[in-house]
Amino acid sequence: MEGGSVERTRSLRWLYLIGVIGAVTLLAGVTAAASAGKSEDAAPTTKAARTTVTLAGWSLAGNRAEQNALLRTIAQFERRNPNIDVDYQAIAGDYDAAMLARFAARRPPDVFYVDSLDVPDYLPALEPLNDDIRRNKFSTKPFFPRLLNAFRVRGQIYGFPKDWSSLGLVANTQMLNAAGIRTPPKTWAQFTAALQRLRARNAVPNGAPACLSLDWARILAFIYQNKGAWLNPARTRSLINSPQNRATVTQYLGWFRSGLARTPAQLGVGWCGQALGEGKAAFVFEGNWIVGFMQTGFQNVRYRIYPMLRNKAGGNLAFTVAYSIGKFSSKKAAAWRLLAFLAGPVGMRTWTGGGIALPSRSDVRIPPGRSALVNAAPSSRPWQFVSGFDRVVDLAGKELEATFEGNQTVAQMLQKIDAATKEALER
Amino acid sequence: MAVAARSKRLESVGGERLREALVGYAFVLIPMAIFGMFFLYPMVYAFYVSAHDWGGLEGKLGYVGLDNFRDVWNDEQFWIWPPEFHSGTALWNTFYYALLVVPLQMALGLTVAVVVNSGIRGRGFFRSAFYFPALTSSAAITAIAIYLLNANGLLNAGISKIVGRDFTHPWFGDSSTALESIVALNAWTTSGTMMLFYLAALQSIPTDVYEAAAIDGAGIWRTFWKVTFPLLKPAHFFVAVVSIIGALKLFDQAWIVSSGSGGPAGSTMTAVLYLYRVTISEFNYGYGAAIGVVLFLIIFTLTLIQRLLFGKAEIGY
Repeated sequence: MEGGSVERTRSLRWLYLIGVIGAVTLLAGVTAAASAGKSEDAAPTTKAARTTVTLAGWSLAGNRAEQNALLRTIAQFERRNPNIDVDYQAIAGDYDAAMLARFAARRPPDVFYVDSLDVPDYLPALEPLNDDIRRNKFSTKPFFPRLLNAFRVRGQIYGFPKDWSSLGLVANTQMLNAAGIRTPPKTWAQFTAALQRLRARNAVPNGAPACLSLDWARILAFIYQNKGAWLNPARTRSLINSPQNRATVTQYLGWFRSGLARTPAQLGVGWCGQALGEGKAAFVFEGNWIVGFMQTGFQNVRYRIYPMLRNKAGGNLAFTVAYSIGKFSSKKAAAWRLLAFLAGPVGMRTWTGGGIALPSRSDVRIPPGRSALVNAAPSSRPWQFVSGFDRVVDLAGKELEATFEGNQTVAQMLQKIDAATKEALER
Repeated sequence: MAVAARSKRLESVGGERLREALVGYAFVLIPMAIFGMFFLYPMVYAFYVSAHDWGGLEGKLGYVGLDNFRDVWNDEQFWIWPPEFHSGTALWNTFYYALLVVPLQMALGLTVAVVVNSGIRGRGFFRSAFYFPALTSSAAITAIAIYLLNANGLLNAGISKIVGRDFTHPWFGDSSTALESIVALNAWTTSGTMMLFYLAALQSIPTDVYEAAAIDGAGIWRTFWKVTFPLLKPAHFFVAVVSIIGALKLFDQAWIVSSGSGGPAGSTMTAVLYLYRVTISEFNYGYGAAIGVVLFLIIFTLTLIQRLLFGKAEIGY
């Protein structure tokens, strides 16, 4: 009896093995067939046929004003190019993860967003545009040079900035009035004084005078204002561990220590813009994206965007995103048409017309009330480093939080970030 | 004797049996193909990728041998020696989490199972109620917990009422409580599943053992510790393995709570979240795969050790 069941399991095991081998073989066949089919894709489309170009970007579903502006721009392009359809793919969730999967599968969208921070990492998947620019006589002169340069690598342009923003001092004007602050602070010292005044008058009863993020995408602007830097202009050396940077971070954390500022987590909000909207902070440092956010949820809050603070110098960060073409796109001609329209004067006017974004071209009118952000252009440096720097930014963020919680000194933190930066530069 | 007779019978009906088996395997072919495509193939491929330098974008993979593993060995964001909890290192975060959550899950699951098994009124209701969190999506539970546990959330409002002053501790926003909050959350959500495992085991214990205990004059407490608890040994092993593997794989809650950053101060950076960040944000497939292989080896070894500790012991009635 028992022997029989052993024999039975043995033969079952055999068949199981055959099954597994069969499945793997089948799979290998499918994979091979799929990769063989890839080359057929490049077949030229007939001229009369309509082409569909895919356009991918992170989802704007949370910001209806932005989404509508983009859909209007796409519709305008389709009217002007009857033989090209645009398939707009809004990617919800982790954009990098979604794009990486498409790149790895060699099926990228034809045109897509690339954040200036990600350019070094995305580079192998981006189509160089210099030939197209020359062939189509597309003028790149109207683009603000610093923004265009964020997408230029060794002389090749890999994308056109679709819009941009610097940081501004965004203030709740009702709270400033309540505290009797007539002129907005311009320097670090004036900012501290204004915060103290807001606190003394209890102008922000449900929060703190300022909401500051524990984020290097904010602190780096202050570092520039103190004549410091993270990398040298050529991005070959680490300058993060310097006395002036130590002073800058100490000052930034000092605003928390003295209770004049709180983090979004301490205020129970997702980000500082929300703190401004919910009346939990009088001052925040944000960019043009605050406009669409306040329009969508907090129309009743009166606020203004003032110029960024300065200390020893003016300093600001430029956040920008480009439209790029995928290197493996099979419809590059149509993709170029779309790219040139979206980044051209007509498309950009439609996109930025409602004021939800700032034009990256000098020949497109700036929406009213944004001079504080636009005037910062000359002193703004792009939020961009070198390839593989995400790791350093991650570590720097982690160390900043640990320093904020008092687990280490600012000097210890800067030493660690310096070591990580050097390691990334060597690679 | 019996063996010989049976194999003879097998020979005579061998053809039919083979046909039967083939039909059976034809039925499982599709699930097997899916299993092969989505589990076996990626697993084998991950081992292959771990020996290569690959950013995901380049078509070709550069062979680097064990370089990725050497980097993992030296990676102070992954682990440090000597082990230190609350150091913001992915591996020790994960172990710390497992150390807290596994006993909690087991104790909670067992308690609830015993309660439900005791024949109290409305046990059907309790059984469903305790299992309910396990049915709900962990992402949804975590998203709601973020609101409940934030600085101005419901929990702090309750604490403020009790202590009589404003209490605004950001539970997920402070590195000293972020991971611990996830522990509490997960112990609660998974206790239902653990309860189910224990319940099945409890019901398989023969009643005569209890009768014997009663005759010997053992009280409830003594019966539980001397009879029920030891007889649940296979269940303990199974629940512990499932619980530890689940704990070492922690990802979704950590990802949602920190919006993918593993913060604050690296306190919610689990090993799998670190793997994900390395692969996706840093475009480093090779390194990510190497971390995956290391994790696989760790989980595999731990399971083997557990098997040796628990597996051999038979239940002696």
